[in-house]
Amino acid sequence: MSDARADGSPLADRFSKRTGITVAVGVLFVLLAGARLAFPDTIAGDLFAIVTDRTTLGAALRFAVPITLAALGGIFAEKSGVINIGLEGLLIISAFTAVYATDTIAGEGAATQAELWLGLLVGVVASTLLAGLFAVVCIEFRADQIIAGLAVWLIALGLAPFASQVVYDGPNTASVTTPATVTIPVLAEIPFFGALFDASPFVYLMFIAVGLSWYVLNRTAFGRHVRAAGENPKALDTAGVSVSRVRYAAVLLSGVLSGAGGGALALSIGQFTGNGATMVNGKGFIAIVTYLFGNYNPVGAFLSALLFAGLDALQFSLQTVGTGLPSSLVRVIPFVTVILVLALVGRTQIPEAAGDHYESGED
Amino acid sequence: MADAVRLDGITKRFPGVVANDDVTLEVERGSVHALLGENGAGKTTLMNVLYGLYQPEEGRVVVDGEEQSFESPGDAIDAGVGMIHQHFMLVDTMTVAENITLGNEPRKWGWLAVDREQARREVRELSERYGFAVEPDARIETVSVGVQQRVEILKALYRGADVLILDEPTAVLTPQEVEELLAVFEELTAAGKTVIFITHKLGEAMEAADEITVLRDGKNVGSVSADDTDREALAELMVGREVLMETDARPSDPGDETLCVDGLTVEDSRGVTVVDGVSFGVRAGEVFGIAGVDGNGQSELVEAITGLREPTAGRVDFEGRDVADWSRIDHIEAGMAYIPEDRQERGLVMDFDLVENGLLGSQHASAFAAGGRIDWDRARDHAEAVVEEYDVRPPDPDARSVSLSGGNQQKFIVGREFERDPSLLVATHPTRGVDIGSTEFINDRLLDLRNAGGAVLLVSSKLDEVQMLSDRLAVMHGGELMAVVDPDDVTEEELGLLMAGEEPSRSLSSLRLAGEES
Repeated sequence: MSDARADGSPLADRFSKRTGITVAVGVLFVLLAGARLAFPDTIAGDLFAIVTDRTTLGAALRFAVPITLAALGGIFAEKSGVINIGLEGLLIISAFTAVYATDTIAGEGAATQAELWLGLLVGVVASTLLAGLFAVVCIEFRADQIIAGLAVWLIALGLAPFASQVVYDGPNTASVTTPATVTIPVLAEIPFFGALFDASPFVYLMFIAVGLSWYVLNRTAFGRHVRAAGENPKALDTAGVSVSRVRYAAVLLSGVLSGAGGGALALSIGQFTGNGATMVNGKGFIAIVTYLFGNYNPVGAFLSALLFAGLDALQFSLQTVGTGLPSSLVRVIPFVTVILVLALVGRTQIPEAAGDHYESGED
Repeated sequence: MADAVRLDGITKRFPGVVANDDVTLEVERGSVHALLGENGAGKTTLMNVLYGLYQPEEGRVVVDGEEQSFESPGDAIDAGVGMIHQHFMLVDTMTVAENITLGNEPRKWGWLAVDREQARREVRELSERYGFAVEPDARIETVSVGVQQRVEILKALYRGADVLILDEPTAVLTPQEVEELLAVFEELTAAGKTVIFITHKLGEAMEAADEITVLRDGKNVGSVSADDTDREALAELMVGREVLMETDARPSDPGDETLCVDGLTVEDSRGVTVVDGVSFGVRAGEVFGIAGVDGNGQSELVEAITGLREPTAGRVDFEGRDVADWSRIDHIEAGMAYIPEDRQERGLVMDFDLVENGLLGSQHASAFAAGGRIDWDRARDHAEAVVEEYDVRPPDPDARSVSLSGGNQQKFIVGREFERDPSLLVATHPTRGVDIGSTEFINDRLLDLRNAGGAVLLVSSKLDEVQMLSDRLAVMHGGELMAVVDPDDVTEEELGLLMAGEEPSRSLSSLRLAGEES
């Protein structure tokens, strides 16, 4: 078949491109290290210090949590054939709800850690409900997935700050407790990588979610049904598995994962801020980019989320160091880099039936 | 002994049509039963009822002596009915074993994980039991169509199917693969399985089946034993009138070369070379046929000739001028007509009525367009003339294309293209999915054009047809022309070998026509 013939080369292309990027990054790193040694007081020297600082890794991991979790959700939905571009909205709604719930449960005093986790759970429920609405509209009523996804974003973008206005008299909520850092003795002392073992519990939650998602997608029957629903739903239907049930499950799962992401985002800061694009500020859309970049592999999505988050952490540090560059220019570094990388890596294997409606018995 | 399957008075309606009208069908256990009929006769609908994809309005489905009411394919599978659809229901990115076990995965660790080792082992055992050479770990997109079909059969067997329904199983196979499939049927019936297959090819039904049921216009018009009938009788049952099986083809009287293709190399949209240095010529007053299994570069070759795709190398000379980089509209205006392989994708705008569709390709022609506006009265006259002369039904130029049957859509396209009075007609699968009556009509028009001195390039995967119509016949495989042969001399087996990319035992040079240069 011609398909088979054609598939070999782009894969090889992508591999060589990936290798090329790795080499380029390595060379850049060595150059920076050289600059640090030779000219410790230049911007290049500072950059090296920032990149190799463990607080940069710590910040990158923290920033990566909502992006990664939303990306995992997006993978499940899209692999099942439903393109969920409403991830941003799911993050917003859960970010607000998690803080509001934690605040309400705690009452007068400061929230305990247990109450904070309960708040996160409520955030997850809110996001899952919204995802459920999206699923019904897309699967049952066959709405256009892109439009419905945008609606999810717009609903959350309006609803969360509005609710905050009603409850807290402003777009920002009250502050609540932040989660206690989990420090693993000895391992946390390792230079640089110690940041992996001295982190918010949400970071560990993210690691677990990445591993579990990979396992579910690749090793369980449900994961297979999800992939089949997105590649050739008719094959799944004729095998006696309900396509819409699989898709409902996958979209709800995207709500659960995004909900955890949004809740973690707000609770790790202890507040929901609802000005402008809200504190979520495009993380849901970046999540879509990261899972495409990671070619629908949960691990790949995590690594590209970490790349973006790392660049974000870097630009924060650069702003404090003072580079002479306008800070608004520095702030776009992560976005520009992601676009560049995406353009270089090119092709992802989009599920064949992504975006298509499916109804049993139709030809 | 009870019949394996008994359908009793099945009626299935769709909005505006009765697809099955009180159809009764009995299939004996351990037999091969052919369901024969023209396109749109209701064969696939009937089988979809048996497979639980459709629920009938009236009638009973009895499997193995027990009355069933299938709500979904899952129910049918549970009752031991498996179906292999015309378009394979396989996930290309998954392996053979993953596809076969899809929906019935063996589990381990308390249902948490798929037991991939067991899946592989079971698939291998099953495939060996029926003598299929299928590698469980191969990805579907890397295996041949014949193997994919076997994977589909294994999928049904894995689910415990005792009755296997195959929808047009031979449509995508080479003659050798068809032989293998028939051998598979024998293995299956020997193991006590029952095979029902849908076809519109008489010869196949005669060869493979024990019993043949003919459907026409949604009705069962007769069930006969394959030993007690002949092709003419079956054809008459299918069409409802007598059919001339052979098209009258008097010898051609070719003139100068109208089309000369030289060293043509074409890439597909992914940049893979799919036509590799192809050279041939088509003379005025002859039909030049290209046979081959779909996907061997025929589509891209035709697109390059008709100006839909730019070749990477080589020349396309049309009446002495190189047209390789001409635009599509220049090709039309120079007198090259084109019947595309996918009539709904390329031939018609499905939402347009026939007046508008009749105008396609002529929208700039002075006959219809003057001063920037279209003369709709003329366009309507044109569409009416095509409808009348080419027997398009219903004869209503205001009907939207989508409301016409496939055969009538095709007749309209054929009419539109012939009305251009072309010096060259490029026809790709002109009778694909078209019923016997319309096929006969279209083929006669092709020969009329040839007899009137036109050149015809005919691309088809229907061997009997391309062999019957062509004056010279090329076989395409892997982007190259394997050989140009005399269609009256070559056998179907030799063509099959060429289509599979192999050299027949008889030396090819003896098959070549005198005067053939390459």
